Amino acid sequence: MTEKAVMVIGGGVSGIQASLDLASRGFKVYLVEKSPSIGGRMAQLDKTFPTMDCSMCILAPKMIDCSHHPNVQLLTYSEVKEVKGSAGNFVVRVLRKPRFVDEAKCTGCGICADHCPVEVPNEFDEQLGMRKAVYMPFPQAVPRAMTVDKNNCIECGLCQKMCQAGAVDLKQQPQEVELNVGAIVVSIGFDLFDPSQIPTYGYGRYKNVVTALELERLLCASGPTGGHLIRPSDGKIPRKIAFIQCVGSRDRRFGTTYCSSICCKYSVKDAVLIKEHEPNTTVSIFYIDLRAFGRGFQEFVNRAKSEYGVRFIRSSPGEIMEKPATKNLTIWYEDTVAGRIENTEFDLVVLCPALVPRTDARELAKVLGASVDDYGFFKASNILTNPVDTTVQGIFACGYCLGPKTGDIPDSIMQGSATAARVAEVLERV
Amino acid sequence: MVNKMKYAFFLGCLIPARELSYEVSVRKVMPELGVELVDMKGANCCAPFSIQSVDHASWMALAARNLCLAEEMGLDIMTLCNDCYESLLMTSTILKRNPELRNQVNEILSEVGKEYKGKVDVKNLVDVLYRDVGVSKVKSAIKEPIKGLKVGTQPGCHLTKPKRIHFELLRGFNELDALVQATGAESVPYERKEMCCGGPLRDINDDLARQISREKLIALKNAEVQAVVTVCPFCFLQLDLGQLEVKRHFNEEYNLPVIHFIELLRLGMGMKLEDWEIKAHRIPITELLKDRL
Amino acid sequence: MSELDLGFMGEIANTPRGKGVLLCIQCGRCSSGCPVARLTGEHNPRRLMEMVILGFKKEVLPTQLPWYCLSCFTCLDRCPQGGDVGEVMFAIRNLAVRQGNIPAGVAAQAKALYETTRVINPVRTALDKRESLGLSKITTDGLEDVQRILKRTGMEKIVKST
Repeated sequence: MTEKAVMVIGGGVSGIQASLDLASRGFKVYLVEKSPSIGGRMAQLDKTFPTMDCSMCILAPKMIDCSHHPNVQLLTYSEVKEVKGSAGNFVVRVLRKPRFVDEAKCTGCGICADHCPVEVPNEFDEQLGMRKAVYMPFPQAVPRAMTVDKNNCIECGLCQKMCQAGAVDLKQQPQEVELNVGAIVVSIGFDLFDPSQIPTYGYGRYKNVVTALELERLLCASGPTGGHLIRPSDGKIPRKIAFIQCVGSRDRRFGTTYCSSICCKYSVKDAVLIKEHEPNTTVSIFYIDLRAFGRGFQEFVNRAKSEYGVRFIRSSPGEIMEKPATKNLTIWYEDTVAGRIENTEFDLVVLCPALVPRTDARELAKVLGASVDDYGFFKASNILTNPVDTTVQGIFACGYCLGPKTGDIPDSIMQGSATAARVAEVLERV
Repeated sequence: MVNKMKYAFFLGCLIPARELSYEVSVRKVMPELGVELVDMKGANCCAPFSIQSVDHASWMALAARNLCLAEEMGLDIMTLCNDCYESLLMTSTILKRNPELRNQVNEILSEVGKEYKGKVDVKNLVDVLYRDVGVSKVKSAIKEPIKGLKVGTQPGCHLTKPKRIHFELLRGFNELDALVQATGAESVPYERKEMCCGGPLRDINDDLARQISREKLIALKNAEVQAVVTVCPFCFLQLDLGQLEVKRHFNEEYNLPVIHFIELLRLGMGMKLEDWEIKAHRIPITELLKDRL
Repeated sequence: MSELDLGFMGEIANTPRGKGVLLCIQCGRCSSGCPVARLTGEHNPRRLMEMVILGFKKEVLPTQLPWYCLSCFTCLDRCPQGGDVGEVMFAIRNLAVRQGNIPAGVAAQAKALYETTRVINPVRTALDKRESLGLSKITTDGLEDVQRILKRTGMEKIVKST
């Protein structure tokens, strides 16, 4: 008997799309997400290409749909621990980590956080801002419930005392549930390559060298600076910004020999965004090849050059040095078109790191019995004809955890819908 | 090869020719730390970059001949000079990994009745001190800590690059710095620490060699170090004698004493330097190390 | 500008240490870290690779260009693709030497190696100092071996012709 239920592991836009498609076809969907809220990377972005819409404004309605849809059950702050069975009949053991807050009672008012005495760096803001030990990762979190980070909680009990709804339960225990599903969708997304592995770029040592995701948080109105583009060392508005492409991508020293496929795209988008925020700021993009394929991209690049004055320099810089007094950065590079070694001072440098499989991807693959490729991305059973099928029948994957295809948001949504269709095939078989 | 703490001592060409004080310090200090060094009879030049530039097969064969000598002695090699180190290390690594190439090299070596079996490991002084002797043993051998001395270390290019070989051996800048700290001195960071001293261009393009050592001296001066600590005899030459050349050509004085790490260690262990050894430093070290010399 | 030699890249790729030239994507990371390139516009590892790839054999092999390299391997460490400029330099120089292009300083070292087994020899005062300290003698013990090896590899001919 085929179970008419499906489990989606990973609550980013790809998994959300798959869940909504399946739910509206009448299937029961368990959406499992490791962090306290669904949303994933798209929730962290400021604006999306090509529409230049506010990312969260597009995503949040889909997130709300997930939480309200009668066929979708959210299991956030949860992990898949064991999978048994086969296509049509899987038994999945899910660990529900205790958030020490009763989701049903919590109204998300935040009074607990107001009184919490512990402040720690906020992962959602890429460690650029702070959150409390009892927190909601971002204002539009779904489910709208607080979570207590027990690792940093000092157990003062203030949150429990202040909560008007009686929702805080510091004695909550982890729960294990066993769920029967007919198919599984994996959509766990990606991590960023850690640029401190390239010491000459100074990431981690120089305050004004940031990753592109950190930049998104700085540009985003819900971010640590309220959307004001300021530089980390002194809060001044940067006047000369540099983007460096291919930090870790196309690099055999780290095994990430592939092109991450979206970085040229988003850096031009970010450059234009910055110029719109601060027309007096110059933006330079250091690239090896500018991969502007598809969907109006080359036109966008042309506009960036002609209308916005974004400078494109064909060069992969060798090193970045910091000026101790100003914390400005000097980039040493060869302008390969001119054939000259140059050095130029910038006040903010944005690194575009490779997108790599999550560190927990291999472990999840093992639990599922699915294969990963040499890089650690989920392997398609046939990359040409069955690109969203994993190597296990009945288990599908979508989004960046499958590897860098075109990788951008429309493609992740497309793949989410594709897996939903594939899953429906499995579930409709009796 | 096992035989810990006993090495075939590969001196190279430059040290016996121009830096006897380096050799003497090594011979005085190492036995105190439990390391036995056995001279390699009939060793030839390592085949540094100049020779490698002339002919590839000659490099491999000449370097491999030295490896054979060590193999016959049943010992691993310890070098002092970074160029020797790189030449012998790369050769031993390549021949260890590539049996076909080893056969080709052995065909040449058969002319002189030798065969390299791929068993020798090549180490340098910093390796031996850091990994075999160990920082804590070095520290406990210090009788007169070099307190309050801020130094800039010059590990040299070939202790740390290319990383794809050296990373495998878990090598970085930290080793020399850790050893310097063990003597009580303080290793201070400075700009472009991993940059070359310019030595390889000596006698090929002296002007460029000078400009490069000058850039290094500027970075060291800006970091306000009191002395420069080297391990490679070329780096020593470029930065010590090199300062006089820079003075002559650029009319700039840096007054940065340069001292080999092993000499610093020797002083820290309570041994004195002799007059001729002190004079071997073209930038005087007397002012800096007055009480301990 | 002379005629291009379209086989130059293949020739270098087939010379020991030269195969990295096939992987170069001309990103410029090597030259941005090169200490010599910073000082003189003449030496530029990326441009040298470009010249090899495009076939500028006559502009590379007989010139000073390959001899400015320090072999510091900074470029090699930074190259993302395995282009290994620092290694390719040796291949270029080996070919240059075969064409008779060898700087005086390098030729002198090669000659010293052939005649004494070492590239640098101690002067009289250094030898005397060695003796007074009781250190081992500097000999030419391995000379016969070295000369036999260099005869076999063909380097003897190069030394004798410079």
